[in-house]
Amino acid sequence: MIELSFELPLATAELRVEAELPVAVTAVMGPSGAGKTSLLEAIAGLRRKARGRIACHDVVFLDSARHLRLAPERRRVGYVPQDAGLFPHLTALGNVRFGARAGTRQAETAIETLEIGPLLARYPASLSGGEKQRVALARALATAPRMLLLDEPLAALDVELKERVLPYLMRIRDEWKVPILYVTHNVGEALALAGHVLFLRAGRVEAQGAPLDLLSSPGLSAEAEAGIENLLRGRVAAHDPAGGITRIELDGKLALSVPLAESRPAGSAVTVAIRAEDVLVSTAPVKGLSARNVYEARVEGLERTGVDVTLRCAITGSGRPWLVRVTPAAVEALGLAVGTTVWLAVKSHSVRIV
Amino acid sequence: MAGVLRALLWAALALLSAPVSARADELTVFAAASLAEALQELARGYEQQATGHRVVLNVGASSDLARQILAGAAADLFFSADRAQMDALERAGLVRGPDRVEVLSNLLVVVVPASSGAALTSAAGLARLHRIAIADPEAVPAGVYARAWLESLGLWSALEERLVPTLNVRAALAAVESGNAEAGIVYRTDAALSRRVRIALTVPAGQGRQIVYVLAPLAASKSAAARELAGRLAGPEARPVYEKYGFLFIAPR
Amino acid sequence: MLTADEAGVVLFTLEVAALTTLLLLPPGLASAFALARYRGPGKSALETLLSLPLILPPTAVGLALLEAFSRGSALGGWLAGRGIEVVFTWKAVVLATAVMSFPLLVRSARTAFEEIDPRLVGLARTLGCSPAATFFRVTLPLAWRGVLAGTVLAFARALGEFGATVMVAGNIPGRTRTLALAIFHDSQVGRDDRAAVLAGVTAVLAFAALWTTEWLSRRLERRAEE
Repeated sequence: MIELSFELPLATAELRVEAELPVAVTAVMGPSGAGKTSLLEAIAGLRRKARGRIACHDVVFLDSARHLRLAPERRRVGYVPQDAGLFPHLTALGNVRFGARAGTRQAETAIETLEIGPLLARYPASLSGGEKQRVALARALATAPRMLLLDEPLAALDVELKERVLPYLMRIRDEWKVPILYVTHNVGEALALAGHVLFLRAGRVEAQGAPLDLLSSPGLSAEAEAGIENLLRGRVAAHDPAGGITRIELDGKLALSVPLAESRPAGSAVTVAIRAEDVLVSTAPVKGLSARNVYEARVEGLERTGVDVTLRCAITGSGRPWLVRVTPAAVEALGLAVGTTVWLAVKSHSVRIV
Repeated sequence: MAGVLRALLWAALALLSAPVSARADELTVFAAASLAEALQELARGYEQQATGHRVVLNVGASSDLARQILAGAAADLFFSADRAQMDALERAGLVRGPDRVEVLSNLLVVVVPASSGAALTSAAGLARLHRIAIADPEAVPAGVYARAWLESLGLWSALEERLVPTLNVRAALAAVESGNAEAGIVYRTDAALSRRVRIALTVPAGQGRQIVYVLAPLAASKSAAARELAGRLAGPEARPVYEKYGFLFIAPR
Repeated sequence: MLTADEAGVVLFTLEVAALTTLLLLPPGLASAFALARYRGPGKSALETLLSLPLILPPTAVGLALLEAFSRGSALGGWLAGRGIEVVFTWKAVVLATAVMSFPLLVRSARTAFEEIDPRLVGLARTLGCSPAATFFRVTLPLAWRGVLAGTVLAFARALGEFGATVMVAGNIPGRTRTLALAIFHDSQVGRDDRAAVLAGVTAVLAFAALWTTEWLSRRLERRAEE
């Protein structure tokens, strides 16, 4: 549990945060200037003017009432800024080892997790954006941190690189078991990674809760204008070269067909992305449709997001709900409401392997 | 703006075109540092009597001054604290032998800071002291005389490493005044001027080398008044002033 | 080519310059670092004060040092009471060259420190580095060019220092006579030819110092690019 109850003067306003973050990954979202980076810096101990109380599990970082302030180097917080912030005078290995304790395997484990072995002898200047992010993540992990603070780690990357780094973030979440505060503008990332969302505006917490619950909140829906992706995990089941498809079994035993991707060996873990607007909704079972992927589902939630409507549909027998975006006109025409049984259809071409 | 510039230009021109005779009435005297006070008094007296003439005094170590004259410095008179420097100028043809006059003599003394309780009954006592200031013994007359004296007593090699050589004899005096040197070898005339030192030992006239101050006008001097001033400085009217300061007047009548 | 005495002068000059430079590094880098980070009132006044020896005539600085350390002064008297003599000893040479070289080191190093991205310093702290460790592991390595330039400048200045030195240390052969003072003395006593030889030696030393820096600089750069 991370307790936050502090204030911090900012350039134009004041950041005042009152929150208890219960789960492993919290996405911190909000418009520019809301104070997201300042929040992270305050928790890391880099803002001397923070006053109030900050605690992580039972360790008190800041307690102004008792005149307690833990120095940044004692907080053991892994902070990864937007542009990685690698030390230019050290190699990737030097960077990763920077905070690791001698005689432990912390650095080696981090290197394995982020798969940066081949990069170790190189200097940051010769690394790509995605490589820098992975080295920075490894550097933070190598200190065996109490928690991770990631400031838009994927923001500076182009789409292709984003997709390469995202799985590593999921891996960190699943394998390292440290609380993560994750600043992002991308709703899809938040949905994929976080169990809790903190939404900031002008220095105040406007909303907090489960990501899906907040979808309709004004803040989140504005971010969602850019598009929501369903990020799903699964395993490659088999390739069908003659049919031109690869079969994937998603978590929850859902079968998904995607265009042939022989580069992914059978049995390997994959993450796929399906855009909410690429999912077709039918109120009757689908027949004679080219789409290979059809699933029966139930509408669990219906929220206006901007000009559209986002449906939360639970696929029969599956775990996570899918987000589907339709026009209000479609909702009306089909008479969609909570509880309606629908059939969701996705072309295999609309599925992207991340 | 243009008006100011023009005024400045005219002023510069006026200065540059000043009649030559005005500058010729300014006499430059290069003199040994120990003569500073005596010559200042004599120079003022001369200026008051000889209307239109000005005397500019440049005092320092005679060796340094001689070097400057040899390098081309424009002096009208040279008043050296020893013969060697004047010899150098004569060898270079800058001074004519017959123009030289040996005017003064002096005595060496060992001074200590006025507050110091050090007692020196003889020169050998110097060996007990830590730092002794003297003018540079390699060239400055006061230092050369001091060295000659110490050598005549066989004390030079023992004392050599305790010596602090200074630029000229007044610098040696200042070193003792400030207490940074425990003792110094200067002229008696220098010691008399300072209340912050006291004489611990006077070098008898016979020991070491005879101190001789030599005066001569420079052959290249453009001023006719130079010879006249030289005559005054070496003449009987000047004697009381020198003796007031403690010099020995040895110029011929 | 060089007499034994002259060789001794060269050696002495090098020793003094090296010692001065070494002694200057801790206070110089500390001052440069503090100046780079301090943003409060009076910052320009402080900077100007520390830069004074650069603009004042060396003789004025020498005079000030002489007054401060003379036996008659409070400080000089206190030191003398403890058996420490400064004026007219090699310590005065080190003192004079140190004061004159100090601003050169500070200015170069300060600029170098100011150019470091402050976020990197904060990051190092989150990675477990104390402020002191951060200085040595991040700040200093990132500022090495400016620090090296400042150090070499300080050394070269120390090699050639004259005005302040002659005032407070005197020109005592075998004790305080550096190359610059020896050149002056030789010309004073009419040995212009020896003065010229020593001047040549000074030029060679200065050239060697600067050339070594260039070479060192390039080597370190090449290593960083690999």
